Amino acid sequence: MNNLKVDALVIGGGIAGMQAALDLGDQGFQVALVEREPSIGGKMITLSKVFPTLDCCSCITTPKMSAVAHHPNITLFTYCEVQSIQESGAGYGVAVLQKPRYVDVNKCTGCRQCEYECPITVPSTFDRGLGAYRAIRVPFSTAVPQKAVLDIDNCLLCGKCEKICPVEAVDFNQQPETFSIEATAILLATGFELTQLGAKKEYGGGKLPNVIDPLMMERFLAPTGPYGRVLRPGDGMEPTTIAYVQCAGSRDQTQGIEYCSRVCCMYAIKQAMLISGALPMAEITIYYMDIRTFGKGYEQFYQNAKAMGVEFVRGKVASIREDEKHNPIVKVELTEEGRIIERTHDMVILSLGMIPTASPSTFGLLPSSDGFISLPAINASPSATQRPGIFVTGAAGGPMDIVDSIVTAGAAASEASAYIRNKTGIGVAQREVAYA
Amino acid sequence: MSRVDPTLLHELKEYGAVGIEKCFNCGNCTAICPLASDEYPFPRSVIRRAQIGDKERMKSQLDPWLCYYCGDCSATCPKGAEPGETMMASRRWLTGQYDWTGLARKFYTSLAWELGSIILVGLLVVWIIAMFHGPLVTERVELNTFAPLHIVHLADWVMAGALVFFIATNVLRMYWLTMRRDGQKIPFKFYVTEAWQLVLHALTQKRWATCAADEKDEKTRNAKRTARTIHLLLVSGYGLMLVLIIFFLSWFQTDNIYPLWHPQRWLGYYATVVLLLGAGWALWGRVKKEVEMHRFSHPSDWIFPILLLVVTLTGILQHAFRYWDMPLATYYTYVVHLAFTAPMLILEVPFGKWAHLYYRPLAVYFQAVKEKAKAEQQVPEGALAAAD
Repeated sequence: MNNLKVDALVIGGGIAGMQAALDLGDQGFQVALVEREPSIGGKMITLSKVFPTLDCCSCITTPKMSAVAHHPNITLFTYCEVQSIQESGAGYGVAVLQKPRYVDVNKCTGCRQCEYECPITVPSTFDRGLGAYRAIRVPFSTAVPQKAVLDIDNCLLCGKCEKICPVEAVDFNQQPETFSIEATAILLATGFELTQLGAKKEYGGGKLPNVIDPLMMERFLAPTGPYGRVLRPGDGMEPTTIAYVQCAGSRDQTQGIEYCSRVCCMYAIKQAMLISGALPMAEITIYYMDIRTFGKGYEQFYQNAKAMGVEFVRGKVASIREDEKHNPIVKVELTEEGRIIERTHDMVILSLGMIPTASPSTFGLLPSSDGFISLPAINASPSATQRPGIFVTGAAGGPMDIVDSIVTAGAAASEASAYIRNKTGIGVAQREVAYA
Repeated sequence: MSRVDPTLLHELKEYGAVGIEKCFNCGNCTAICPLASDEYPFPRSVIRRAQIGDKERMKSQLDPWLCYYCGDCSATCPKGAEPGETMMASRRWLTGQYDWTGLARKFYTSLAWELGSIILVGLLVVWIIAMFHGPLVTERVELNTFAPLHIVHLADWVMAGALVFFIATNVLRMYWLTMRRDGQKIPFKFYVTEAWQLVLHALTQKRWATCAADEKDEKTRNAKRTARTIHLLLVSGYGLMLVLIIFFLSWFQTDNIYPLWHPQRWLGYYATVVLLLGAGWALWGRVKKEVEMHRFSHPSDWIFPILLLVVTLTGILQHAFRYWDMPLATYYTYVVHLAFTAPMLILEVPFGKWAHLYYRPLAVYFQAVKEKAKAEQQVPEGALAAAD
């Protein structure tokens, strides 16, 4: 593969990375975007609606994905991983590993013939294991690029896909390849992961079938979701009482995560509203320690949820067990009354916390005490890291919601733009001496 | 009407509370607690009273005594506020509040006072023996010549009398603070009908079994069960030894050597073994800090088991020296044994850590009495309608 020279390299193709790439590309900079998954879109493309507007997530994300893919100034690299970052010349030399798709992207038209032919069904990571897809597939319906990828670990090597492919794109002989990108500035948009479902053992996550994580609930609620409705995973029953356990991963010293993940209150409220729409008879309870609805329009959103009949109970859930029908039973102190209750629900969602996807040390950066990339001048230069020319956007720098991710994408693009202009001299206006 | 006392939190810290100010009242501790109830929603009820400085209710509550420190609350507290240790500190504080002499408060808040008093009483014992002991027979062991039985027995009874006096008056204060101050009218008959609870819980510590019952983690469950079993054994050995030396002193204060089948031998050996086991377990646990109840140690948590261990060891030594026919060694060990036994009994039982042995079953008993009284006062459903 050819070595590439760009003004800016964006690492991570979620909403923050895409927005930053678009902001820089629109200013005329040459941008490369590297994404480790076979499609860009990140976490946001898997979500149902965004808070506080309840706009459709796909409707916001999909156009941005297409815009990135078709932007004349943006070169997109999917299914690639950054291996190292070295200082080189005026910028950085980045070694990138192209993982084999076993499909020639230049030939593949995304017709999905291979997918229909493939005999192997595997749990869909896109649907958080709730749905299934084939061993060879286009990652999801709105994936960008619309190119198939072969999951070689689950493949039988039966060759049916190779035979059916009308353009002979399937290539079992692809090997991992390394190439390098020279970039003046780097924007890190590596995002977050959720804490483990089973991390807090008192909650039985991973053991009790009807205790699920919030991204699973997003898939239940998304129009593109696996069932198109809300069904509990244990037995496929339609749940009528649903509970959210807040702070089930963060703000908890026993989990080693003392920070607030900043999105869980709002996504729980949002999902509660959407469930109220999907299952009008459902009773929804949110068990919380504090409700933190600090953004623009967020408090009103919370009040609306209350008015809609969502029940908010103040008390940290201590433990969850289940009855013989696998109904989770939540034990909590009603702290406003000083009473201890056990309440049975059909389904419980653990509002898990956010942790960084990539270790800051991968990029030669120090983590701050929360494990996310340290932002040494958060008030003066909010995107700057300890290394000049490396900027952060989105949840790579700390837990944040979509609204803030887009704001920080703009901020990082702006800081990077100034940096690139200074470094390369492109487009820097000649200064006139005013009082000569 | 109660007054806010902003010093209460700092006071509790002197009694060993750590991290209590971190608590933001999420209620996790109370919900995870196998023993908490709507009437007694501890540990948070206790933390809350301490945080808002409600000294009156802090004094009149039974909650801290209803906890056996299984440690689930501390292990799962999201803030690391160590609710279990707050409960422990509250028990120490309450012991200080019940004690009218003020000595318990001094001992708990000042190591100098506690150690100084122990040394003082110990030296006093040594001085008394030095002044009044009989002749030292060196040909054979004649303990009764060195320390005549009737004098020791008399001292024993005087000490027991003093203990009963201090314990009784402190218990009376506990009763006054917890049963008379909160306005609930309690008919006397329930104190009689529920008295069996006092005996039952003192002997079996039955409620403690609940702490381990729901524990899913096998290792923690075993640790919880071990704690209760060892406490039961310890109480049996301690109680037995107390009865033996107060009522059967002549068996022990003797120059005879009893045959093995005699209760003097096997009861004594049983008590010795469990005392060693109990004191050793407590000290080893506090060194290792592996289970929740041993993670934090207030000086009083060390002093009591150390005294117990020394008393037991010197008892064993003295016994051995007598059987080995070493007169002087026997007499000296005997003096050391008494110099540690006296302060342990005189200071630790009414004013120190030992006091939880009677305050805890009393609290369970009081709780039962209150519940009975409350149940009686509640108008049965339909009674009002019937009256119309």
